[in-house]
Amino acid sequence: MERKEYSLFELNGLVKQSIRRSFPATCWIRAEMSDVRVNASSGHCYLEFIEKHPISGQLLAKARASIWSNTYRTLAPYFEQSTGQRLTSGIKVLVNVSVEFHELYGFSLTVLDIDPAYTLGDMVRRRMEIVKQLKEEGIYTLNKELTLTDLPQRIAIITSPVAAGYEDFMMQLTHNKRGYQFYTKLYPSIMQGDQTEAQVIKALDRIYLSVDKFDAVVIIRGGGATSDLNSFDSYALAANCAQFPLPIITGIGHERDDTVIDLVAHTRAKTPTAVAEFLVECISRADEMLITLQQQCSETTQALLQAHQNSLQQLTMHIPTWSQRLLEKQQATLQSLGQRLPNIVQGLLNEKQKELTNTLYQMQTYATRQLEQEKAELQLTEQFIRMASPTYLLQKGYTLTVQQGKIIKQAADVVVGATLVTHFADGTVSSKATAIQKKDSIK
Amino acid sequence: MAKKKETYNEAINQLREIVSEIEGGELDVDILSEKVTEASRLVKVCKEKLFKADKEVQKILENLA
Repeated sequence: MERKEYSLFELNGLVKQSIRRSFPATCWIRAEMSDVRVNASSGHCYLEFIEKHPISGQLLAKARASIWSNTYRTLAPYFEQSTGQRLTSGIKVLVNVSVEFHELYGFSLTVLDIDPAYTLGDMVRRRMEIVKQLKEEGIYTLNKELTLTDLPQRIAIITSPVAAGYEDFMMQLTHNKRGYQFYTKLYPSIMQGDQTEAQVIKALDRIYLSVDKFDAVVIIRGGGATSDLNSFDSYALAANCAQFPLPIITGIGHERDDTVIDLVAHTRAKTPTAVAEFLVECISRADEMLITLQQQCSETTQALLQAHQNSLQQLTMHIPTWSQRLLEKQQATLQSLGQRLPNIVQGLLNEKQKELTNTLYQMQTYATRQLEQEKAELQLTEQFIRMASPTYLLQKGYTLTVQQGKIIKQAADVVVGATLVTHFADGTVSSKATAIQKKDSIK
Repeated sequence: MAKKKETYNEAINQLREIVSEIEGGELDVDILSEKVTEASRLVKVCKEKLFKADKEVQKILENLA
């Protein structure tokens, strides 16, 4: 069998042909960007796409890639505008690529298009997962629950000393209008790229050593149009911030979304300048409170003194009037008593006189009535006596029967054959008793 | 012997207390001047914290690791 030999160039040429046959069209791939570099003079962007094991994080695949300058010029701003996230290492993207093989440079992908929705979704999902985990561990709100002192003057700053953000912050803080004092100490850290998470945590650890020397920690980052927020959506950093014993104030400089660090921080401001304004405002509030108290103090003191003075003055003023009034009142009482005395006596006399007259009248009436009553009784008796006399009775037709000189009161006393003398008013009749008829005796 | 200076919070709270005492209106006039003197001292303490650089604090922070 004939042995087939190729030059390397020929072999690579065959591979190239084979790949071109296999991938005639472009395709969409999901991958994480790594080692992103932009060549300043050419404007081309070189990077590596990688894929890690979802749990172990072990590297599973890797491919070189490039975004040519004409593509990059439109792609990068479009992506940044859509996601608020710089096209940089560490983020996951969905990109349209053509698969290439070059005899000299080997295998590589050329990026033609990008779908920002995928990255956005991935960022949100990742952020939500971190938040969920922090909540499950019960540490999500810990930093928010800390009380920021009324006078946050001693500030630990985590930022990059060369970034514009730090300068803005210091400018705003130290040149505040009222001239409030602040004491700051810088804890330098890289604020973008892979090292951010580790360096910020390291800075927090350093601050922790002198935790009682500070009132608050400020994490700030320079402005710029877009930013690399990815490193701030980190569980480890968020957990450190949430559990940090001093209130953390963030000014990471992002317009669209809050990173997880913003979510767990005690106070979140948009920019470093805004953080400084917030701190100045805190002192200003304390200052206003002090001024108010000072005013209250002097006003109430004056009011109290005035009140005392007034009552003293009133007392002094009123003594003559009051005593005069008292005298007058007593005099009036006396006078009115004197005036009323004759009247009272006269009244009393009148009353007694009236009583006397009444009694006299009553006595007269009573005596008259008594006399009349007795007179009537006498008349009645007289009439009765008159009506009971024998003469009166004889005149009325009654008769008186006498037998042998004795008045006969019952038939039984009459003796048959005896002579009865009957007396009339005008004379007497003598008769003989012939028979006696008795009435039935009453049982 | 210098009296140890109170913290801002201590001072402002004492100040509040004095103001409410005076507001109560039942303060003895003899004590009033004492209280007002103390209040002005407290205001001064607080103002100094706001406006006057404390060299000691600066030094402490400079010397931190």
